Amino acid sequence: MQDLLYFFQQLINGLTIGSTYALIAIGYTMVYGIIGMINFAHGEIYMIGAYTALIAITGLATLGIAWLPLILIVALLCAVIVSSSMGWAVERVAYRPVRGRHRLIPLISAIGMSIFLQNYVHLAQGSRNIGFPALMEGSFRFGSAEGFQLSLSYMQITIFITTLVCMTILSLFISRSRIGRACRAVSQDLGMANLLGIDTNRIISATFVIGAALAAVAGLLLGMYYGSVDPLFGFIAGLKAFTAAVLGGIGSIPGAMLGGLILGVAESMTSGYLSGEYKDVVSFSLLILILLFKPTGLLGKPEVEKI
Amino acid sequence: MATPNFKHALFCAIVTLIIAYPILGLNLVAQGTKVGLEGATTSTVISVVLAAFVVFFFQLFRDSIMGNLGKLPKLNPLSGREPMPQAKRAKLESWVLTAIVVFALFWPFLVSRGSVDLATLVLIYVMLALGLNVVVGLAGLLDLGYVAFYAVGAYTFALLSQYFGFSFWAALPIGACLAALFGLVLGFPVLRLRGDYLAIVTLGFGEIIRILLNNWTAVTGGPNGIGGIPEPTLFGMEFGRRVKEEGNTSFHETFGIAYSGEHKVIFLYLIALVLAVITALVIRRLMRMPVGRAWEALREDEIAARSLGLSRTAVKLSAFTIGAFFAGFAGTVFASKQGFISPESFVFLESAIILAIVVLGGMGSQIGVILAAIAVTILPELAREFADYRMLIFGAAMVLMMVWRPQGLMPMRRIHIELKRQE
Amino acid sequence: MNTSVKKLVTAVSASVALMAAGQAAAEIKIGIAGPMTGPVAQYGDMQFSGSRMAIERINAAGGVMGEELVAVEVDDVCDPKQAVTVANRLVNEGVQYVVGHLCSSSTQPASDIYEDEGILMITPASTSPEITQRGYELVFRTIGLDSMQGPVAGNYIAAQKPERVAVVHDKQQYGEGIATAVRDTLKDGGIEIAMFEGITAGDKDFSSLVTKIKQADVDYVYYGGYHPELGLILRQARQADVDAKFMGPEGVGNKDINTIAGDAAEGLLVTLPPAFDQKEENQELVAAFAEKGEDPSGPFVLPSYTAVQLIAEGIEMADSKDPFEVASALRSGTFETPIGTVQYDKAGDLKAFEFVVYEWHADGSKTPAN
Repeated sequence: MQDLLYFFQQLINGLTIGSTYALIAIGYTMVYGIIGMINFAHGEIYMIGAYTALIAITGLATLGIAWLPLILIVALLCAVIVSSSMGWAVERVAYRPVRGRHRLIPLISAIGMSIFLQNYVHLAQGSRNIGFPALMEGSFRFGSAEGFQLSLSYMQITIFITTLVCMTILSLFISRSRIGRACRAVSQDLGMANLLGIDTNRIISATFVIGAALAAVAGLLLGMYYGSVDPLFGFIAGLKAFTAAVLGGIGSIPGAMLGGLILGVAESMTSGYLSGEYKDVVSFSLLILILLFKPTGLLGKPEVEKI
Repeated sequence: MATPNFKHALFCAIVTLIIAYPILGLNLVAQGTKVGLEGATTSTVISVVLAAFVVFFFQLFRDSIMGNLGKLPKLNPLSGREPMPQAKRAKLESWVLTAIVVFALFWPFLVSRGSVDLATLVLIYVMLALGLNVVVGLAGLLDLGYVAFYAVGAYTFALLSQYFGFSFWAALPIGACLAALFGLVLGFPVLRLRGDYLAIVTLGFGEIIRILLNNWTAVTGGPNGIGGIPEPTLFGMEFGRRVKEEGNTSFHETFGIAYSGEHKVIFLYLIALVLAVITALVIRRLMRMPVGRAWEALREDEIAARSLGLSRTAVKLSAFTIGAFFAGFAGTVFASKQGFISPESFVFLESAIILAIVVLGGMGSQIGVILAAIAVTILPELAREFADYRMLIFGAAMVLMMVWRPQGLMPMRRIHIELKRQE
Repeated sequence: MNTSVKKLVTAVSASVALMAAGQAAAEIKIGIAGPMTGPVAQYGDMQFSGSRMAIERINAAGGVMGEELVAVEVDDVCDPKQAVTVANRLVNEGVQYVVGHLCSSSTQPASDIYEDEGILMITPASTSPEITQRGYELVFRTIGLDSMQGPVAGNYIAAQKPERVAVVHDKQQYGEGIATAVRDTLKDGGIEIAMFEGITAGDKDFSSLVTKIKQADVDYVYYGGYHPELGLILRQARQADVDAKFMGPEGVGNKDINTIAGDAAEGLLVTLPPAFDQKEENQELVAAFAEKGEDPSGPFVLPSYTAVQLIAEGIEMADSKDPFEVASALRSGTFETPIGTVQYDKAGDLKAFEFVVYEWHADGSKTPAN
C-alpha cells in the first residue's frame, strides 16, 4: 500500500511537470510544423514569461493588492503580452530575414538569439535566483496520517486544469478558426498557401505569438510551483520541451501533450526509483533513441524529404 | 506618407517598449527576506524610450533608408576591384601564412609570459575551431556537442597519466584517436538524421558525456576533477623546477641555465603552435582531396551528391571523425596546459563559443576561422569592462552574421581551375 | 581594464619590462585573484573589499619593512581556464604573494603555477581539502576545510540521536565534498543513512526528491551545496508535508534563501564560521568598513583581510621577502588576526578553524543552535 502510494505520488509529480513541458512544446511543434526550423530561443521566451510574471506579482504586492485572482490574472496577462511580443520580435529580427536559406542558417541564428536573450535577462536582472512568493499553498491528502501520505497540491491541480484548458482552446482554434485553418494550410504547403492568397508572413508571426503565449502561461505556472527563477533555467527546460515535442511527433499538437506527459513521468520515475543524478541522462537518451528509431515520433506523420 | 507604414512603425515601437521596459526598467531585488521591485536608473529608461523612437523612425522611413543605403558608396574601397588572379592569390596566401608562422615561432621570446600563455589558449581554440570547421563549415553538419570530443581528449590524457603514468607524447595520439573513435561510434547512428535533428542529438550527447564524467566519481573524480597532469617533456627533459618523474632530467640542469618558468610556457606554446599548424595543413590538404570535395558537395545538395554515387554515411562520418580527432588533440594540450581538469570546463557554452568562432570567421574559411579565434579569445582580455557583455555580443553577432553575411567575415574561396583565355 | 591594454602594448619590448622590474623594488606587490564578473561575482566582491581594506590600513600604518603594499587585481571569473591565464599574468607582473582564488576549481590549477614559480598563495575561500594535500610548500588558507565542516555538522546531527538521516548534495566539488564528510561522520556514529544522493545544480524540480525523502521517513536531511537549490527543496518539502529537519553548510547561509524558501527556511540548521564581525576586538575594523560603505559580514571579507595581514606579518617575521622564508615563518608563528589566533600545520591549513551550528530563521536572522 505504501509503495503504491509512493508510486502514485511520483506519477503525479511527473504528470505535473509533464503538462508544463507540453505547454512549452507547443511552441516548438507549431513552428517546426510550419517553417521546419527549431526555434532554439523558445526556452528563453518561457524564461522571460516567468520573469515578467514575477515582476507583475511583485509590483502588485508593492501596491498592496492581495486578492489572489486579480494577481493571477494580471500576472498572466503581463507575462503573455511580453512573451508574445518577444516571440513576434524574435521572428521578425532573427528568423524572417533568413527564411528559405540553407537549413543551417536559421538554426545558427536561433542559437545566437537564445544566447542573446539569456544574457539580456542576465544583465538586466542579475544572475541570482529570485524567489516567487508563495501564493497558493495547501493540498489534498490521501492515506493514513501514520504512514506515507499522498498529497495533491492545489498548485498541481491548477497546472493540470490550465494545461487542459489551454490545449482544448488551442485545438479548437486550430481546427475551427480562420487563422487556424490558414495555419494548417501553410504547414501543408507554404508556397501554395501563399498563391491562394493567405498572408503567410502573418500566419508565421501568429504561430510564434501563440507558442510564446503558451510558454508564458507555463512560465507563470512553473514559477509558482517550483518557487524561483534565474536567467539560465529556460534553456534546459526548452531542451526538455523540445524532447517532448519530438517524442510525441513534431508538428502534432496532441503529440506534444502526450510527449510531455511521457517525458515528465519518465523523469520523475528515474529520480524516484534510481537517482536524480541520472534524470537528464534519461531524458536525453530518450530523445536520441526516438530520433534514431522513430524519427516521426509517436503521433507524427512521416515526412517526405522535399527537394 | 503611407498609412500602413505608419501603423506598422507605431506597432514596432510599442513592441520594443513592451519587450524592453519590464525586463530592463523594473529590477527584481532582494529586500531583506522579501523580493521587491526597483525602478532602473533614469538613463536606462531614457535609452529604452530612445530605442523605441529609433525603431519607430526606422520603420517609418524604412524604404527610403534602405534605398539610400544601397546607393551609398561602398565603405570598402577594395570592394569594386577585380578579384586577384588565382595563381597570384595562392602564392600570396602561402607567403603570408609562412610569414605568420615564422613570426609566431619567434614571437614568444620577445613578449611576457602572460601573453604567451594567452596565445597558447588561442591556439587551442584555433585547433578546436579548425576541427569544427570541417564538420560545420565544410560538411554542413551542425554539431552542438563538439565539446564532448574535446573532453574525451582531455580526460584520456588525464586518466592515462593518473593510472598508468603515460606522458604527454604517448597520450597525444591516443587521446586524439580515442576522440576520433568516439566520433565514429557516436556518428554512425546519428548521421542519418537531418540537419536540425542532428544538432539536437549532438547537443544531447555532449551533455550526457559531461554528466557521466561528473557522476562517475570513482574513476574520473567526478566534480573534483583530476589534478597533477604532467607537462610535456622534451626528449625526457622536464621543465619544472624539480623533476617529478624518475629517470627524467630537468631542462635547465641539462643545459646549465638558470631555472625559469617561462621555458615551460614557451615550450607548451610551441607545441600548440606546431599542432595547430599540423591541423591547418592536414585539413587544407583534405579540402583539396576528393573527400573534401565530397563534404562540400553533400553540404550543397545532398540528393544531387548521392545520385552522383557519393556514400552519404561514409562522407559524413569521415568529416565527423576528423573533426573529433582534432578536438581530441586540442583536449590533450588543454589538459597539459591546465594541469587540472574538471567537467565544468566542458559545458555547452564552450561548444557555443567554438561554434561562434566558426560562424564569425566564415564557415569553411581557414584564415577567417583563425582570425576569429584570435579575436574572440583576446578581445575580452583587452576590454575587461565588457567581459560581462561578451556572451550578449556573441549571441547578437551570430544572429547578425546569419542575417547579413552568412558566409562570414572572410568567406571561403573555392579553389578552381581557370582556363587560359584563347587569344 | 586599462592596465592589460597597456601591458600588451608595452610587453612587446623587453626593455620596458626590465624598467618595470626595477621599479618593483620599492614596493611589495600582492596579487588579488578572484571573480570580478560572472555568476559568483558577489562572493568575489567580498574578497576584494577585505583585501583592499587590509592593504590600505597596513600602508597607512607605515607598510611592511618600510615598503608599500600594492594590489594587483585580476579577474578569474571562477573559470579554471581563466584562472591559469591570470595566474600567468601575475607571474608576469613579478607578484610574489597572492590572495586567492575563490573557487576551489580555480585555486587548484592556479596553485600549480604559483608553487612552481615560488609564489606564496593564501586562499580566503577555497575549502576543498585536495588543495593543501599535494605537499605544496607555498599554499595556505584562511578558511576551514570541507573535511572540518562536515564532521561538525555530522556530530551535531548524531548528538540529536536521529533514527535515519538523508544526505543530499549537488554533485559539485564543494557540495559533494561536505556531504561525503557528513555521511562518513554519521556512519562512524552508527546512524543509518537512508539515502545518499546527488541532484543537478540549477534544477528547479525537486518534487521527486522530496517524495523520496518523505518515503524514506528520515529525521534529518543534510544538504551539501548552495542556497538556490536548498531553498527550493525546503519550499517543495514544506508543500509535501515533509517534517524532517534540514541542515546545510555555509553555502546556504545567506539571506537569499529566505526570498526563495519563505517561511520554510525557519528552523534550518547551518554550519557557519563564527560571525567575525560580531567579535568585540574587531569592532574598530568593522567601523572602518562601515565608513567606506562596505559590509564586513560576508563570509569571505575578514578571511581575505587576514590573508593580507598574514603576508605582511610573515614578511616582517621572516625579515625577508623571499616567499619560501615567509612560508616557513607562517608555519612556525602564531598570529592574532580578525579571524582569531592563527597557527598553521605542515600542509598549510589552519590548525583550528571553528564552525558553529546556527539555526536560521524566516526573517533571515540566525541564532546559535543548542
